[in-house]
Amino acid sequence: MEDPGIAERLVDSLVRPDGSPKKRPVHTIGIGATGSFLASHVARDYCISKHFQGTETPVTVRFSNGSGSAVQHDGWSDVRGMATRFHLDDGTATDLIAMTLPEFFTPTPETFLDFALAAKPAKFSRESPWRKILDMLKLTPPMRDPYPGETVRPDEGAMRFADRNGYAQLAVFQAAAIGAPASYDRASYHAVHTFVITAPDGTRRWVRFTWQPIAGVLDTNPNAPPEDVYLQDKLRERLALAPARFSLMMSIGEIGDAFDDPTRPWPPHRVRVMMGTLTLDTVVKDQEADCERLSFNPGLLTDGIEPSGDLVLRARKDVYEISSKRRGAVPCPFSRSQANDE
Amino acid sequence: MTNDGGWFDRFVDSLPERGWFKFLSTYVVVPYWVWRDPKPKLPGGPRASAQPSENVQRMMNLIMPLKDSSPIGRAKAALAIAQNVDEIFAGLDNVGTVHTARFLLLDDYICMISVYDGDFSNYIRDFIATIGSVFDEVVSLVEGGDDLIPTTHNVERFIDWVHAHDLFQAPDFPTDLFGLQDTASGRSPDSPPHELRSLPRELILQLNANPNISLGGGYRAYPGFSAAQVRGKFGVGW
Ligand code: HEM
Repeated sequence: MEDPGIAERLVDSLVRPDGSPKKRPVHTIGIGATGSFLASHVARDYCISKHFQGTETPVTVRFSNGSGSAVQHDGWSDVRGMATRFHLDDGTATDLIAMTLPEFFTPTPETFLDFALAAKPAKFSRESPWRKILDMLKLTPPMRDPYPGETVRPDEGAMRFADRNGYAQLAVFQAAAIGAPASYDRASYHAVHTFVITAPDGTRRWVRFTWQPIAGVLDTNPNAPPEDVYLQDKLRERLALAPARFSLMMSIGEIGDAFDDPTRPWPPHRVRVMMGTLTLDTVVKDQEADCERLSFNPGLLTDGIEPSGDLVLRARKDVYEISSKRRGAVPCPFSRSQANDE
Repeated sequence: MTNDGGWFDRFVDSLPERGWFKFLSTYVVVPYWVWRDPKPKLPGGPRASAQPSENVQRMMNLIMPLKDSSPIGRAKAALAIAQNVDEIFAGLDNVGTVHTARFLLLDDYICMISVYDGDFSNYIRDFIATIGSVFDEVVSLVEGGDDLIPTTHNVERFIDWVHAHDLFQAPDFPTDLFGLQDTASGRSPDSPPHELRSLPRELILQLNANPNISLGGGYRAYPGFSAAQVRGKFGVGW
């Protein structure tokens, strides 16, 4: 480890005044559901991991709003999260953590610290009509008007950071207009980082994963007044009617691709493999005990899946552990899994 | 909208939809920026890339202005294609690297839209070798095309001409536009970084230089595989 303090400092940097020390510092509001994952018939040709062998694997999923505010604003434009734990048949588990933004803001933990500080949610003033006219004459879009009750936001700081650091531009640009999903099961979620998977013949492939909703992607109307509370109810209603399903799509990287840089998505032209289908049928009954107090960790991998050299991915293992400890959550089951650091 | 900043603010928010403001934007604001910050036309076709999957299923969107776009001129163009279906299909089979190809008559243009594997120049060269006569007929109907006939004797010039009429393919990731514009203007890409909020303006100015573009590199159902690999899997014999 280069800098033993970086993980602590990253967690510190995320703390915001409207958050809660007992909850996650980001992705604070969420809901858990359970179901199972069934690998496709080709998945085992690519990866020897247990959950890709073709038997049903039970899963726990937590959907979340990306914001670290402890006040629920489902309808505000925000990145959404989908953390999936696969409960493997030997009692161990592996996590796949994904979000609706297809890329990350920075290429390293250190630059993320700079970003988190620069984009800390801050007081902002509504853009004046005169300023808006000036923007229109400059052919630049005015900044978004505040939502009712919105007093702090990261947008201005993130934008200033992106103006100085080109690598952050794609994520900041896409996050600024990401909107709100009609339901948690109507969004695509990207695991962003590259992982290295091993096939039965020993071939190692550099891959990236995305969950695609079988119900299709659907956002709310960005011009209608946002509703603060609907996503959890929608998911309950949805699962009471019928299971929600996602396909796990895997893109295979090629020499020359950004294997270790989470700010660079891969073009949609890479070989794509359907690795399996996730079926969610039950909302977790005791949300507090079995979901909110749970801790997911992107470093919780299993035989057949390793982290790439992506420094952000590698740093996240400690970050999530520290965060989980601070909020008094159930520790993630590293002790029972094969740890993947070298 | 979501919040009430008073009547003047609401009025300003509605400006982009108001006829007079649209008129002002189109005839004053945009021309001012075009004058102040002119963009070179960005080149057509897929961009060079080392990755194998970028070199299969590449898109060609060849947009050629008709000399005569009256119904009679269009009928001549339709006839030129219809009378040469055998030549075109046999030629495409011989080229072997084409997934799909079709001709369109669209407004004042005849368009050839195709998906091919491998190098662009080789694709066009193979094409001319097998169906040069059809191309002669097509380009004779197109503005600026007469100088290229017979295409079999003007292969390199014909390749350049096709390239110039192939649509610019907008990048799959929007902020990559900055770097492409820098490169076209002889600057080093993104250094210093651009103001992020200027991206919509840069797009508007680019659409002034390249009014017709392909929006991204497109969707593929089986990305990364060549026509030969697909045919091989199906066992269809060539
Ligand atoms: C250096 C980069 C990052 C840092 C410092 C960071 C930090 C954190 C922290 C501290 C938590 C709360 C963990 C807990 O208390 O259990 C969290 C949760 C989360 N993060 Fe990150 N994160 C980073 C990158 C990412 C990336 C790249 C993704 C998407 C692929 C992501 C998606 C999520 C999701 C979905 C959750 C919620 C997990 C849950 O439901 O328990 N994060 N992050």
